[in-house]
Amino acid sequence: MIKEFEGKTEKDAIQKAVSELGLTQDQFEVEILSAEKSGFLFKKGTVRIRAHFDDSQFTFKDERPDLEPENDLEKKLIDFTTNVIKNMGYEAVVTLKEREQEKLIFSIESDNSAILIGRKGKNIDALQLLVNVYESRISEGKSQNRVILDAENYRRRREENLIKIAEKTAEAVIRSKSSKLLEPMNPFERRLIHTTLNDRNDVMTKSEGEGLFKRVRIIYKGSR
Amino acid sequence: MEKELVEYIARSLVDDPEGVEVNRIDGEKSTILELRVSESDVGKVIGKHGRIAKAVRTILSASANKSGKRLVLEILD
Repeated sequence: MIKEFEGKTEKDAIQKAVSELGLTQDQFEVEILSAEKSGFLFKKGTVRIRAHFDDSQFTFKDERPDLEPENDLEKKLIDFTTNVIKNMGYEAVVTLKEREQEKLIFSIESDNSAILIGRKGKNIDALQLLVNVYESRISEGKSQNRVILDAENYRRRREENLIKIAEKTAEAVIRSKSSKLLEPMNPFERRLIHTTLNDRNDVMTKSEGEGLFKRVRIIYKGSR
Repeated sequence: MEKELVEYIARSLVDDPEGVEVNRIDGEKSTILELRVSESDVGKVIGKHGRIAKAVRTILSASANKSGKRLVLEILD
């Protein structure tokens, strides 16, 4: 896996890589993309580096402790998820990680988690939808549980990533005094963008389009 | 294998699991899976705006497909 970092100096950029990746410096190779320049006039020089690392040893293990399934419903949900994945041709262990009021979070551990998650979470979202349909079927509409499927902390990583995208785009919109359209997102993802930028008075957000996957536009409002 | 996958999902979602039937038709470039369920269960495998059918197709396309052929899911009613 390759990731790029930027810093004022080479050391600074490497430091950023170390803290963001959670690796020690000897666990990745550094390739320098643009060297240190003495800043031209007022512009300060920046250094871009590329960190090459082995992601087989770099897993996003879900450290939350496993909960023992307590009732028939929880057991059935684990069985259903495991069986669907098995029928897809993959090995996986599904465990219950969190039990909140009206919310159950299961985590999938598998050597094939990359494909099980899919591009932008497409596959894990499809699986999650089926599990939720199955849940409301077996509970005969009596429970209000929402089932969330996670793998390798994907949900949290995606959330952090979306917040970053929202803030970065907001900055760009303010600089250009215009608006920007984000990529199509599902309702949960859009909500996160809206709430991230909700308490700012320099930009506003609006959903555009039809169907399940609408796009959020971030619009410059100017400071008043 | 893909046939069993569709069968398993469909049987888990319908009221009448006995009524679930999947036919596999192997073509040259694609494999068609024909899913048949009891009349009253058709909505359960399609869902509002085809959400469930779409999810099943996504799951199908993510499965370890060794033949390399395109998989098509058709829901018969």
